[in-house]
Amino acid sequence: MAEPLIRIEGLVRRFGPFTALDGVDIDIYRGEIHALLGDNGAGKSTLIKILSGVHPPSAGRILIEGREVHFRSPRDATAAGIGTVYQDLALNPLMSVTRNFFLGREIYRGPPAFGLLDMKTMDAITREEMRKIGIDIADPSQAVGTLSGGQRQTLAIARAIYFGAKVLILDEPTSALGQKQQMEVLKTIMRVRRRGDVAIVLITHNEVHAKLVADRFTFLALGQVIGRGTRAELEHEDIRDLMAGGRPIGDLARELAAA
Amino acid sequence: MAAQSSLGVTRSEADRLRPGGRLAALARRPEVGAFVVMVVVIVSIAVASNGQAFNALGLKNNLSIIAQFGIIAIGAALLMIAREYDLSIGSMIGFAGMSMAMMLKWGLPFGLGPATPASAFFLTLAMTLAIGWLIGTIVVRSGLSSFIVTLSFLFFLRGLTEVCFRAINGSTQISGLPDFKETSAFAYLFGGEAFGWFYDLWFLSGGNVNRAGAQWVTGFDARLAWWFVVALLAWLVLSRTQVGNWIYATGDNREAARANGVPVDKVRIGLFMVSALCATIFAACQVFETNTADAAKGNLKELEAIAIAVVGGTLMTGGYGSILGVVFGAVTFGLVANAVFFIPAIDGSYYRVFVGVVLLAAVFLNERVRKRITGGL
Repeated sequence: MAEPLIRIEGLVRRFGPFTALDGVDIDIYRGEIHALLGDNGAGKSTLIKILSGVHPPSAGRILIEGREVHFRSPRDATAAGIGTVYQDLALNPLMSVTRNFFLGREIYRGPPAFGLLDMKTMDAITREEMRKIGIDIADPSQAVGTLSGGQRQTLAIARAIYFGAKVLILDEPTSALGQKQQMEVLKTIMRVRRRGDVAIVLITHNEVHAKLVADRFTFLALGQVIGRGTRAELEHEDIRDLMAGGRPIGDLARELAAA
Repeated sequence: MAAQSSLGVTRSEADRLRPGGRLAALARRPEVGAFVVMVVVIVSIAVASNGQAFNALGLKNNLSIIAQFGIIAIGAALLMIAREYDLSIGSMIGFAGMSMAMMLKWGLPFGLGPATPASAFFLTLAMTLAIGWLIGTIVVRSGLSSFIVTLSFLFFLRGLTEVCFRAINGSTQISGLPDFKETSAFAYLFGGEAFGWFYDLWFLSGGNVNRAGAQWVTGFDARLAWWFVVALLAWLVLSRTQVGNWIYATGDNREAARANGVPVDKVRIGLFMVSALCATIFAACQVFETNTADAAKGNLKELEAIAIAVVGGTLMTGGYGSILGVVFGAVTFGLVANAVFFIPAIDGSYYRVFVGVVLLAAVFLNERVRKRITGGL
């Protein structure tokens, strides 16, 4: 087995008296989709916030390509190659696709800040990068507000990869989308996987989507890992049981009947 | 997302956005509404005044008012695109005019000797930029709405202007300063004339003649040139530079801009300083043209500047707007404000009636534009 791109060891995060993560170990590999599943409050969000440099861990280590890293800010995490695509996508709806793609990292000629933008090059790069992962934007000067939810998701992913993400963390990318758009996003994720050099962490509570695309699974409940494995290892397990916090789904049915 | 339609044609999501013709693309531009209103106003005023509004002197007078509006409206529009307001523009004009005129009359502060037009201007500019920086810093640090912070500066600066006038000058007016524009090239830059060639050509081609048969008007007010410079720079920065991208992003989705590394606080502070700069240019043109100052100068100009920005297609909610639209808006407002001089039959107060109606119409129109862009298909 190859060396993991990211190794998380004994990660603990406390908020005052509350322990959000309690000794979590996860390995993430290049070219794989790693689904991180769990119910609300399982600690998924805390975990990605630590990985993307928003919170420091209370204990434990994060190693990227074997070297331990300490993130003091989201900027550190981005520089280390961790690209996080949040649910709100960090997009500006009134601005054009290209202006969003290059926001804060514009290509320009001349002095910083007041240099002239090279819109032609930026338009071309934006189109090409979007096309690579499956969306042909006819007009990169159209406002992001005119794109569908799935297209916006693709834009945010293409942007993260173009600016050097080795690990792509996708926070609930399929929630709040219609059926067709969910499939569009899953296809995009598969195209990124096909590149082979990017690791994808897919955070979701939709086990159907996870089963469709993921190579490896980690289940969290109440801040701890309650199950893990590759697609082959988990073939006969009922993923839904693990999703529900480790209890057989049949119990839940009985609970509901008794309510 | 490809799907087979019943006819066997592969359709994709992107195909549903009709590209439309060149006309449709033109209609999507933010300045279209402002342009249409401007054309209507130009034609109606030309007809109603028997062309007098656009004879040699009429054109000069109209463009003088238009340029005045235009200069401050651009500062207000840039701020509004970044989702901030500056209600202190009018008081800043009064303050800057007082400061320059007082230095020219009573000498530089701290006993630094008599002032020249340049030293009075630059010392005043240093103060107004510092105030702009202070306003921006308070807004950014406190997280308070710029509406309330600049409202307090509206009162503070106007009061300060009156107090300084009375304490040093004994009255709230200064008049009869020497005609600096005759002796100082610097003062001429603000208070003199510009584009004299335009009126020379007009005279040579047979127009622009007064009753004595000589050339009637010799040039536009210098503020017209300032308006062009300010508008051109603002357009260039907003549409063609990195900072322009940051200004839009600061007004559109500020948290997203911040997450992408845009220095949103610096952008906002900088724009409050630009607004102060515009007010100072406005005041310098006024002082050096008329050689007077008055504590009441610039009153209500902040609201007119905001109204022009909105009529020019700038969204109150930020993130969207065009300098060209603001230029059209300034032309419209200037012409209507001045209309009473060319059409004596109408009551001058119709200007404010017009402003109210046009402003409300513009807000509705802008809201539709915003929905069309953010609401998707």
